[in-house]
Amino acid sequence: MSDSFGSTALRLDSASPPNDVMIKLEGLRKRYPGQSTDSVRPLDMEIRRGEFVVFVGPSGCGKTTTLRMINRLVEPTSGQIWIDGRDVTHTDPDELRRHIGYVIQQVGLIPHLTISQNVGLVPKLLGWDKKRIEPRVDELLDLVGLDPAQYRRRYPKQLSGGQQQRVGVARALAADPPVMVMDEPFGAIDPITRERLQDEFLKLQQRIRKTIVFVTHDIDEALKLGDRIAIFGESSQLAQFATPLEILSHPADDYVRSFVGTGAAIRRLGLLRVGDLEGAGGGAGAGPALRVPPETTVYAALEQMLDAGAARLAVDGEPGAERSLSLQEMLAAAARGRQVPS
Amino acid sequence: MEFLEYVSRNAQQIIFLTTQHVQVVLLSVAVAAVIGVSLGIATERAPRLRRLLLAFTGTLLTVPSFALFGLLIPVLGLGLAPTVVALTVYAIFPILRNTVTGLETVDPAVVEAARGMGMNSWGRLRTIRLPLAWPVILNGIRVSTIMVVAIAAIAAAVRGPGLGELIFRGLARIGGANALNQALAGVVGVVLVALVLDLLFVLARRLTTPRGLRV
Ligand SMILES: Nc1ncnc2c1ncn2[C@@H]1O[C@H](COP(=O)(O)OP(=O)(O)OP(=O)(O)O)[C@@H](O)[C@H]1O
Ligand SMILES: [Mg+2]
Repeated sequence: MSDSFGSTALRLDSASPPNDVMIKLEGLRKRYPGQSTDSVRPLDMEIRRGEFVVFVGPSGCGKTTTLRMINRLVEPTSGQIWIDGRDVTHTDPDELRRHIGYVIQQVGLIPHLTISQNVGLVPKLLGWDKKRIEPRVDELLDLVGLDPAQYRRRYPKQLSGGQQQRVGVARALAADPPVMVMDEPFGAIDPITRERLQDEFLKLQQRIRKTIVFVTHDIDEALKLGDRIAIFGESSQLAQFATPLEILSHPADDYVRSFVGTGAAIRRLGLLRVGDLEGAGGGAGAGPALRVPPETTVYAALEQMLDAGAARLAVDGEPGAERSLSLQEMLAAAARGRQVPS
Repeated sequence: MEFLEYVSRNAQQIIFLTTQHVQVVLLSVAVAAVIGVSLGIATERAPRLRRLLLAFTGTLLTVPSFALFGLLIPVLGLGLAPTVVALTVYAIFPILRNTVTGLETVDPAVVEAARGMGMNSWGRLRTIRLPLAWPVILNGIRVSTIMVVAIAAIAAAVRGPGLGELIFRGLARIGGANALNQALAGVVGVVLVALVLDLLFVLARRLTTPRGLRV
């Protein structure tokens, strides 16, 4: 069993069809003992390999329950869970969990073990030998931005909340699991540190390409992090499961619209990149232009233009492929993006 | 000064009885610790049984020690056996109580995270819950020990070992030569044993509390 999972991680790097399904939930339902209603009504969902999926929804709608059914910390009342093409609904849960990274809001580092021992926990459970665990721990601490020489030997209490959660992420990644489930991992962290952790985590994900299921009740966090966002209503009923841009451009119904809140059009500008805007190519127009790289978001570009009093934007590119856009053209192009959801 | 003279003249006997006293206390507490901690762990999934056990062992504490020693005579006779059994019975409650409390106060998030990483229930108990509960459990053992040091003095009633002999003998012939000094030597001995053991527990706590909890 461990072999089939171990090879998963390898296959991840090799050429795999981009759209193959990593996590599949089929009619997944949960009713807690003694309750008269389902906390999760039958739910079907497919999550692709390497995809970052965020669950959002109001408190008590069943996000945590759904998430914890994926690693079977909550046993489903009915339905099936497939991971990488294998039905894991009835396999050994401990074995299953060793191959699914798990991060929770309270972190839950073991206080009497050192940071290094905490990070090395799953590899140890998997029977790796010491010589293999030690360099792996250092590598992971590095990966989450903690200097191993400085932090390896510390105890959890000697770290700040943000540092503890970095260790929590490192620990979840220790045995290179193909799947990670995260329950409000940045929920208890101050806003500034949270944003830094989000940015770093996004960068990290670009390198490691895990299949991630991430719970939050902060819609902005969801829009920022998710490749796709699942907006849950009561009892984990999917109100919409789509990309952030689609959700902002085409909310499925009033519930989604109200959940996303005001300013959807403005927030969309934070998701669009100036390089993707269609606009006049080449020629420089009237007025001073502000130069930005193509990956700048429209939101950031507008902000800089307002600051600089520039009426035109020059988008960097290959020599000869630079483009120049007027404020008018930018807004028109951004609005057009609305008609063609990706 | 008369007392000190008595002590120095009978030093050998007093040391012997003190050693006996300490031995019987440690033996009883060790047995009680094994029983108390095991019961605390074994009843985790049976909260009703656990409450029942706590109530029962707690009630046993209210039985006067003199009576308990006496009640054991028909079953176990005189000497070491009834002494150890009675002291063990008294020592179980604080240890069981603190084992339960200690395990309950372990941060559930820590246990939950470990479970989510695939650590089975035995692994969680051994590497997380017991080490974290240990300072509380050790405190229970300490309370039991101090309590049992005093109760052990009564064991002389069933010809048990220890400093009780001095107290009982002295009181039995009160008014006689050195009777009071003899009883006093027993009492002072018991108090000193309790103090020294208490200090040793403070030390043991320092030495056995995991470093990560002290930082
Ligand atoms: N162990 C349990 N026993 C009984 N009911 C439970 C249990 N855990 C959760 N529930 C119920 O199931 C529903 C869904 O809970 P869940 O924790 O999944 O919500 P959530 O979406 O994660 O909420 P939050 O955003 O507040 O974390 C709630 O109504 C909750 O009361
Ligand atoms: Mg939750």
